[in-house]
Amino acid sequence: MTPPAHRHTLEIRDLSVHAGETEILSGINADIRCGEVTALVGPNGAGKTTLLLAILGLVPYQGAIRFCRAAEHGEGAPRIGYVPQRLDFDRNAPMKVIDFFALSSQRYPVVFGHSARSRRSAEEILARVGAAQLISRPLGKLSGGELQRILLALALRDNPDILLLDEPVSGVDLSGEVLFCDFLSQIHSESRFSLLLVSHDLSVVSRHADRVICLNRRIICQGGTTEMLTPENLEAMYGSGAHLVSHGPADGRGHLHGRAASGQEEEKGD
Amino acid sequence: MAHSLLDPLFSAMGHLLPFGFAEPLFMKRAILAMLFIAPAAAAAGVPLVHFRMAFFSDAIGHSAFTGVAIGVLLGVHPLLTMVAFGLFVAWAITLVKGRTELSPDTVIGVFFSTVIALGIAVISAQKGLTRNLQAYLYGDLLAVSDTEILWMGLLLVAVGAYLFLAFNKIMLIGVHEGFAKSMGVPVRGLEISFALVVALVVTTAIRAVGILLVTALLVVPAAAARNVARGIVSAFWAAIAIGVLSGLLGIAASYYLDTATGATVVLFAAAFFAITALLKGLSRT
Repeated sequence: MTPPAHRHTLEIRDLSVHAGETEILSGINADIRCGEVTALVGPNGAGKTTLLLAILGLVPYQGAIRFCRAAEHGEGAPRIGYVPQRLDFDRNAPMKVIDFFALSSQRYPVVFGHSARSRRSAEEILARVGAAQLISRPLGKLSGGELQRILLALALRDNPDILLLDEPVSGVDLSGEVLFCDFLSQIHSESRFSLLLVSHDLSVVSRHADRVICLNRRIICQGGTTEMLTPENLEAMYGSGAHLVSHGPADGRGHLHGRAASGQEEEKGD
Repeated sequence: MAHSLLDPLFSAMGHLLPFGFAEPLFMKRAILAMLFIAPAAAAAGVPLVHFRMAFFSDAIGHSAFTGVAIGVLLGVHPLLTMVAFGLFVAWAITLVKGRTELSPDTVIGVFFSTVIALGIAVISAQKGLTRNLQAYLYGDLLAVSDTEILWMGLLLVAVGAYLFLAFNKIMLIGVHEGFAKSMGVPVRGLEISFALVVALVVTTAIRAVGILLVTALLVVPAAAARNVARGIVSAFWAAIAIGVLSGLLGIAASYYLDTATGATVVLFAAAFFAITALLKGLSRT
């Protein structure tokens, strides 16, 4: 069988990132293929967020990050959508959801009102993520799950080739998380972007990801999801004695976490 | 030349403001200066508060202390050295902030004390300087010259033009820097240019309300507007309205009460803050 033709690939070759003397990432070689969901897993401080920032060009790095687009799908720089882990903005800021959309889509200052075009595009994309009713709500008053949807909508607005999600379900309750993930896979099956997902939640990873990259400052292993999430690999990543723990409902929709021998749960990002 | 440009404005004000306090020419000058300064300061204050940069603008205000002293020492007009030094400090703070792991308020705190210490050292060595400083410490709106008024008008135009181009991007950076960068916003350039614009507004507004109170002119209207506004549009225009109203009410009240103009203006702004805070409290219950 011939391998499926990919419209584009993101090739990461021999990438390393330093912060002063400290090496945060080294010898990273990985491919992120179009249409696939690639999960990036690893313990705190493994450099997962740093890898996303390098792809976005927001931190300096050595090595190469190449974007290869199949000839029949046009040329040019890739459009990269990014959903950060959390927004640390002032929750009391007078800013509505529509303001937030207009800030990034219209030329003249938002203080003169929202352009018809920016309002229309906000309405369209919000409806697509099932958040049309949030358009006039203050940004600071949204729940974690609602805010994630807004950020996702904004990242999807410009039809990205690649979507980077940093801990999309942190700070979201369990039912919200299941909803968000189901919804994400629905959106993903409609559009053919590649999805790179940082997650601590191995149940999310095993349910949604096609491929897994296990990272701890270097690549521990990468490959198909089921082959990768083995006790041996988890141990190499999280330390000896690591195992999967399950909590939440017993119907298989609960969380699974890689847990280190110390018993410290890996919840927050790096 | 400055006077001939402003003359029509003064005579128009005679018709628009048929009140006792607006009759003397020095009062007309003060009102016109306030009409230029207040909206510029309030407009710059909206992103300033969004960025949590109130302390930064205070540090720039206090750098004027040193700027004025340097001007007197060199025999240059203190206004020029004050603006130049304010711009320099703004640029230096932004540069250092971006290259250290220290928190922004620590960096600003270090600069804040350094510029004041430098100012005091220079002033204490030059005996005649203290009197000269009074006008800068407390502001001297009633003694503002026609040239200064024109300069303030230019400032309003410049701030308006800058915000017209950069407002959206600056507000986006305030929400999430990395997110703004991923949307192609030139974060570093905007941070520095906004810091310089704030420095320009602060050093110009010192003539109106003085070093000690200048931050209030930027921060208080924007803070009061936040109490009642839900979106950017209403927050911005409410800040401008509160800034201009407190300016005019403050000038009028100071005329009749014989109080310091700058302080009276800031008290009116503070009153607006108190009222809007009460309104906010009421709307919650």
